[in-house]
Amino acid sequence: MSYPQKQSVQSANTVRIDSQVAATLRYIRGSMEAASSIAVPGSAGSAMGIVGLLAAVLSSTAGLREHWLGIWLLAAAVAASLGIALKARPSSLRGLRLSGTPVRKFALCLIPSMFAGAVMTAVHWSAGNLHAIPGTWLLLYGCALVAASVPTTGTLAVMGGLFISLGLLALVLPDNLQTLMLGTGFGGLHLLFGLLIGRADHGR
Amino acid sequence: MYERVRLGIMSALAVREQLTFNELKELFEVSDGNLSAHARKLEEARYLTCTKSFEDRRPQSVYRLTSLGRTALNRYLDHVEAVIKATRRR
Repeated sequence: MSYPQKQSVQSANTVRIDSQVAATLRYIRGSMEAASSIAVPGSAGSAMGIVGLLAAVLSSTAGLREHWLGIWLLAAAVAASLGIALKARPSSLRGLRLSGTPVRKFALCLIPSMFAGAVMTAVHWSAGNLHAIPGTWLLLYGCALVAASVPTTGTLAVMGGLFISLGLLALVLPDNLQTLMLGTGFGGLHLLFGLLIGRADHGR
Repeated sequence: MYERVRLGIMSALAVREQLTFNELKELFEVSDGNLSAHARKLEEARYLTCTKSFEDRRPQSVYRLTSLGRTALNRYLDHVEAVIKATRRR
């Protein structure tokens, strides 16, 4: 008669083994997330650089020059999509996706400057102040990169600093050099740093 | 390694090439003595390496996961996954 009673007490106090193991797994994942800096794949930078170079070539081609703003906006959308897709790829480790805290930190660092860039583009465009748009883009993208270097890699801060320098220069240069500045930044710097980061990752 | 803090140290070093003593202390909110003891155990097991240097005239210990440590962590994760799969099958 005592057996069923004993069994019920035991089942009430027993911790299911899978719940303990799941808690351990959650702890491991939490430790990884808290410690992880986000990997910035070199391939993302290179791909974005190629898109930037293509945009520079297209927007300096006769007949397309007057559509430079549309070309660069389209290039920005394509480059951002490519960057996100290539960035998401290596951020899984044994099926434990590196999401949550590090990604949130990265987004919070990147988004404010990008948002400011979008607002300033609209402001410049509506005021007919088109010559200030490339400098604003380069400047604010540089600020976004410097901020995003905190949860990622210091290399992004160097790249951001160069974008800021280009942006400041673009703001004082004549209109005919703006495409060159955009191509140097969004094409050349992305490609160069993409290759550098890729090489560093490969050597690890 | 199966102790909570030790497992945390190993997991953190699995995603970061290296972490300093202070970074680990901040991450796991443990005392200096506690962290030293856990790190030493892992060093003795050859799961970690510790490089001591000076930065701004202050001593700094930098920890890295060894390949033996990474293998042990992977084996442990495999074991954890197997247990979860086995209990879910029931």
